[in-house]
Amino acid sequence: MSNDILFLAEFSGGAPARSALELATGAAELASQSGGSAVALAYGSGAASGAGALGAHGAARAIVLGDEDRPAITFAPAAIAAVRDAGLAVLAPATPNGRDLAAALVGSLDLPAFGPVRAVRVVDGAVESEQATLQGSVITTARPADGAPSPSVVLVLANTFTPAEGGSGTAEVTQTGDAAESALAKATVAESHEAEAKVVNLEEATVIVAGGRGVGGEEGFGPLRDLAEALGGAVGASRAAADAGWIPYQLQIGQTGKVVKPSLYIGAGISGAIQHRVGMQTAEHVVAINRDPDAPIGEFADLFVVGDLFEIIPALTDEIRRRKGA
Amino acid sequence: MKIVVCIKQVPATGADKRYTDDLRLDRTGVEAIINPLDEYAIEQALRLADAGTADAVTYLSMGPDQASEALRRALAMGGDDAVLITDPALAGADEWTTAKVLAAALDKLAPDVALMGMASDDARGSLVPGAVAAMRDVPLLSYGSELALADGEARVRRLSATGYDWIAAPLPVVATVTDQVGEPRYASLKGIMAAKRKPMETWSLGDLGLSADDLHGAALTKVTDARAPEEKPPTERIENLPAPEAAAKIADWLAARKLI
Ligand SMILES: Cc1cc2nc3c(=O)[nH]c(=O)nc-3n(C[C@H](O)[C@H](O)[C@H](O)COP(=O)(O)OP(=O)(O)OC[C@H]3O[C@@H](n4cnc5c(N)ncnc54)[C@H](O)[C@@H]3O)c2cc1C
Ligand SMILES: Nc1ncnc2c1ncn2[C@@H]1O[C@H](COP(=O)(O)O)[C@@H](O)[C@H]1O
Repeated sequence: MSNDILFLAEFSGGAPARSALELATGAAELASQSGGSAVALAYGSGAASGAGALGAHGAARAIVLGDEDRPAITFAPAAIAAVRDAGLAVLAPATPNGRDLAAALVGSLDLPAFGPVRAVRVVDGAVESEQATLQGSVITTARPADGAPSPSVVLVLANTFTPAEGGSGTAEVTQTGDAAESALAKATVAESHEAEAKVVNLEEATVIVAGGRGVGGEEGFGPLRDLAEALGGAVGASRAAADAGWIPYQLQIGQTGKVVKPSLYIGAGISGAIQHRVGMQTAEHVVAINRDPDAPIGEFADLFVVGDLFEIIPALTDEIRRRKGA
Repeated sequence: MKIVVCIKQVPATGADKRYTDDLRLDRTGVEAIINPLDEYAIEQALRLADAGTADAVTYLSMGPDQASEALRRALAMGGDDAVLITDPALAGADEWTTAKVLAAALDKLAPDVALMGMASDDARGSLVPGAVAAMRDVPLLSYGSELALADGEARVRRLSATGYDWIAAPLPVVATVTDQVGEPRYASLKGIMAAKRKPMETWSLGDLGLSADDLHGAALTKVTDARAPEEKPPTERIENLPAPEAAAKIADWLAARKLI
């Protein structure tokens, strides 16, 4: 149906990524505006058995592109077959995998591309998206040009939509039709190296305590971890901290790290360089702790605490534990 | 082995930027630079050339005449020659159009690797490389912290959820690299002098066998509004307090916003 809202639903290790649940809800929201249905394009291990359950979050139907863990781009031929002439929009998570697949759709089917969006809606039968461009200095609204092909491909940042919970629906699951031969399917994993410690997916955290060069070393992240735990959140970092080897690159926030949109971001010992800022400025609440009263992060934080992080953070952790215990 | 590095000229990071009345980026009076993330692609290509793996490095850019400065600057870092695609019909090009034009130019240049940055500073869509790969029907190897070439195959080292992978595909490919490649080299004075004599061609749409009609009036998207971000309430500050008192104030602030 031409009013349907499709979305990429990534699975791995047998379970859906949080982005799949968020986009199911987002697609359902847009579908109610367009008069169509939310349709999942599910891929990765667990997609075949798990796609139906996306119904609980808003998906009416699900098309399984493939059920193995392999480079996301290799699902492009199946995605292209499923998207051809279908729907008003395809929502894709603004992650490396999501962008790769979105780009393949744009290039193969000559589709208009939007995002990463901070808001998206259906207006006059077309998708209207709002995005921050030029390092967040300008907010633009964009629509498909007159006569542009459908669907529109829309990159969506994590936490733009909150997954609807408690639904009991089951999405009707089908397999993709025949995909055309494509060189995009030729990427393979030649080697895989696991880290010793498990790393959380920062995009899924609703509270992030991030540390920078000011944290001073690997051990310096200890107090940040305690605070994150007290708040039920995760630890993130600036590139300076990741480059120093204090923390894995998977936890870097910024232009070349993760773009996060938690409800609370606490930055400690981070100066607030523009490349860091573009990765966290969409957080709902920003708290910064820095001993330099003139640190740039103080210009855009909601709450700026001037002080030594090694004094403030443990005191804050104690205070929060005390209040939670009470 | 031949590498074409695609570079975009963008307004300097942090420069004051505005949109014109017809909702295009106002480039007047704004310093223009090579997209910082493309410098890592240049660095990666030059390292492969230094190692003797690549025997030709060409730069390709689509943009206004002024973008030739970015190409000249890249040539001063190293590499052999450059191509600028410029055409009045390309003003206001979006990611699809950019990909369409670069794909046509790459068909003509036929490199083993079309190497790109992971994102452009001004748009941050990261969609051009994958769209180019799809249009040319070649594999995409994206977000590499390193690119290796051997035996008719390209590989990138890419972060995974839990560690990293080497992803491989047969040549030719489109590849993108991140800032983990290593710091881009500076242009030496000798490099700057040498760059002046390196060949640079300028191609129009016609040279690529494309017409404005093929490009949907330069874009499949249209910007309908550009405005400043909402004013945020002024920053609240907590200073000159002993840590326990500061902590209590922060906790109050968080509690008032239902964050604890
Ligand atoms: C192409 C490119 C991409 C980049 N991408 C990213 C990116 O994705 N993410 C990113 O973060 N950066 C990125 N950067 C780097 C960025 O420009 C900054 O260099 C980096 O963010 C600085 O990290 P920092 O704030 O931790 O360190 P610094 O700028 O050194 O700041 C450290 C801060 O800690 C404070 N401090 C020190 N000790 C204490 C203490 N005891 N208590 C409280 N405060 C203390 C200091 O006052 C200072 O403000 C990128 C750069 C480039 C060129
Ligand atoms: N106008 C352009 N000319 C040359 N290369 C470009 C252009 N636009 C984008 N690219 C390449 O595509 C990459 C990703 O850009 P984007 O998809 O706009 O984020 C950039 O880092 C460049 O390598």
